[in-house]
Amino acid sequence: MQAVIALLIFPGGLCVLLLGLAYEWLDRKLMAQMQNRVGPRWYQPVADLVKLLAKQETMPNGVNPLLFIGLPLVGLASVLTAALYVPLVGLAPSYSFRGDLIVTIYLLGLLTFCMSLAGSNTLDRFSLMGALRALTQLFSYEVPFLLALLGPALAAGSWQIAEISAYAETHWLILTQPLGFVVALIGLMGKLELSPFDAPEAETEIVAGALTEYSGRGLALFHLSRDVALVVGLTLVAAFYLGGMANPLWFFGKTLLLLLVVSGLQALFARLRIDQTVGLWWRYGMLLVLLQWLLMIVWR
Amino acid sequence: MPSERFVIPIGPQHPALKEPGHFEFSVEGERVTGATVRLGYAHRGIEKACEERNWVQSLYLLERICGICSHIHTTAYCLGVERLAGVEVPPRAQAIRVLIAELERVHSHLLWLGVAAHEAGFDTLFMYSWRDRETVMDVLEGLTGNRVNYSANVLGGVKYDLDEARAETIRKGVDYLEARTYYYLELVVHDPVFVQRTRGIGTVTREQAEWLGLVGPAARASNVARDLRVESPYAAYDLFPVQMVLETAGDLEARVSVRLKELFESYRVIRTILDKLPTGEIKGRMPKKVREGETVSRVEAPRGELFYFIKSNGTDKAERVKVRTPTLCNLAPMMTLAIGHQLADMPMLLAGVDPCFSCNDRSIVVRNAQEAETRWTWEQLRRYGIEVYKCKR
Amino acid sequence: MKITTMLGDVLRSLLRPNSTQQYPAERQPDPERLRGKLVWNGEKCTGCALCVKECPALAIELITLDKAAKRFVMRYHIYRCTFCAQCVENCRFGCLQMSNTDWELAAADKSAFTVYYGKEHDIEMARSAQAASTKPEPAEG
Ligand code: SF4
Ligand code: SF4
Repeated sequence: MQAVIALLIFPGGLCVLLLGLAYEWLDRKLMAQMQNRVGPRWYQPVADLVKLLAKQETMPNGVNPLLFIGLPLVGLASVLTAALYVPLVGLAPSYSFRGDLIVTIYLLGLLTFCMSLAGSNTLDRFSLMGALRALTQLFSYEVPFLLALLGPALAAGSWQIAEISAYAETHWLILTQPLGFVVALIGLMGKLELSPFDAPEAETEIVAGALTEYSGRGLALFHLSRDVALVVGLTLVAAFYLGGMANPLWFFGKTLLLLLVVSGLQALFARLRIDQTVGLWWRYGMLLVLLQWLLMIVWR
Repeated sequence: MPSERFVIPIGPQHPALKEPGHFEFSVEGERVTGATVRLGYAHRGIEKACEERNWVQSLYLLERICGICSHIHTTAYCLGVERLAGVEVPPRAQAIRVLIAELERVHSHLLWLGVAAHEAGFDTLFMYSWRDRETVMDVLEGLTGNRVNYSANVLGGVKYDLDEARAETIRKGVDYLEARTYYYLELVVHDPVFVQRTRGIGTVTREQAEWLGLVGPAARASNVARDLRVESPYAAYDLFPVQMVLETAGDLEARVSVRLKELFESYRVIRTILDKLPTGEIKGRMPKKVREGETVSRVEAPRGELFYFIKSNGTDKAERVKVRTPTLCNLAPMMTLAIGHQLADMPMLLAGVDPCFSCNDRSIVVRNAQEAETRWTWEQLRRYGIEVYKCKR
Repeated sequence: MKITTMLGDVLRSLLRPNSTQQYPAERQPDPERLRGKLVWNGEKCTGCALCVKECPALAIELITLDKAAKRFVMRYHIYRCTFCAQCVENCRFGCLQMSNTDWELAAADKSAFTVYYGKEHDIEMARSAQAASTKPEPAEG
């Protein structure tokens, strides 16, 4: 019984979805405030979701219907699964096993992969272009991001999220691994395709990128998955670098602080071209992570 | 797959272009290998319609060719018609025309800055520049009563006079905008990410610019000294001369900074006009009928040279009004330039010339297989338009 | 080269109220020269119809009931008016003004877009004459 509740309501399932919507609203609101405009009301993400869910999904000609319907589901399922392994709102993860960090990161990657597949499933040129870019971007940030998150794992001597965050409670890793923190945070932005890494869905070039052909439920599910991925990602970074699990309120404050930084970074930059993104990750992201590792080894 | 072209269409409905124009870019991966443009989506038959309206009515129709540079269209038309009719326009009226034209330039360039920033995915700059643009819109509203179609020109002069209180609000607005413009100039030449998107993109050398016939800020960014306000001062530009702003690089960054630097010139001219406004009447007497003849009227719109050809047959209606807007001159060169660039640069490149499609799409010649060329009346054209749309639906 | 030129501005915006005006709730004073609804005051009208002739949108009609007695009614089609104020410019007797306070002209009913100006019973006469005749309205365009 308890397992079912944990899966469906709290801390997994429903709670994550609501948290995701709340974070999305906060992100949009903060962006708006930084841009000196009003921004959405608190219920806007929910309203968007309800509207999209109620809308008819038009399936374009030439798609594989199974994939068209299945991919959003797989995407959402993967991030929801990932949510089970992270210490949401500072509580111990619902499930935990050795090496769940790797699994979580790949479950997050699966979402991007689903979106790209969904894009290449259609014949739409914008979708294809977007899918191509999303995959290109995936291959550029994934390695530095992973290596950055492995930094705390190395320090804690474990690949289990619960253990790493327990270790982080006594060691504020942002102080000992500042470079890793920066790469992890920016990698998260790349993962979530937030500006300035939003080339895969650059609206002035390729409309909505891979999701151009989605109009109803599929789009809603993809948006929702991205919101959940935001929560999972922020939780991971906060747990690893900002003093691990703590009491829920304090932990919540930490993720909000991270969100503020993320929104600020979104507001500050123009969009990077896809070749610039790749260059940035492989040239600077990689370099920073390796430097961090070098420092850690020397420290030891 | 070099033989199969992968074509990315932009427009006529596309988030990058808020106006209907259709561009097709064939791409290999991200690289653009070919570009074509199709225009005419916003064709409204305005030139033909002018032939069926009297001189005054046409003025307001022409004002609506473009929403952004409405005043400059009427100025070009008024200057032409007044010259045909031999009407003396009082210097105060001319000075007020120039004042509004410069305010309009400010509003147009700030708008453009926002659009360019948006195309580059830099929405914060977009929001800020449009917020600041409100200032100049408010100033224009205070001066003429409207924010977009000022309707300040009449044949023979202007409708609205300037008093000291209004001059003071304009000065205040200009002071604020000047400070902001310094900031934006600083930003666009120093912000590393924005610079990455503009520096060295879409470079037009001086020779190319001359040869391709670029006009306006796009030409001046390539060091082509082409500015009608300087070359053949019209209205009151001989009393209030402007300095030409030139850049040498010819890339997108140069186009951005030319426009921003031009703003300082505009602010200076606005202040000088406010200080040294000639006294006297603001309207000359305009006859209802204009004597026979034809004239060419050229003015410098915010986007470049605006050209009017006006022919009168001695009645109260124009025989022919031909308008050539700057966008037309600038779009074709951009299509040549696009090749070899990244797809991601296309919206920026297009925005770089500040295209205005409703400006662009006006005239059309109806060719018939039997008769060589038939001339249609306005009524026929209108009927035809309605029929075509009915059929399409 | 500065990494974040915008940082200062963004942080300042975070702390200050945003610049959006919540229009119907929050109002700016009407600009003095705003061109709103056209208002006709027939006291001094001579019926010269100069205003009608040069209206670019054919938005006004002058209905002459009795030229000698100076009984005119003006019919004004708001939906066609482009608010250019050429008619105001043309009237040498200052009969026409554009209101700067009456500018929210949206209505749910089409009849609100045609306004008659003039004396009460003149308007009645003009209306019934209009109803009786089958004269079509001037072509739009
Ligand atoms: S304001 Fe212009 S459009 Fe309106 S009635 Fe007067 S002349 Fe006609
Ligand atoms: S121009 Fe003036 S006087 Fe002449 S008809 Fe119009 S309102 Fe009357």
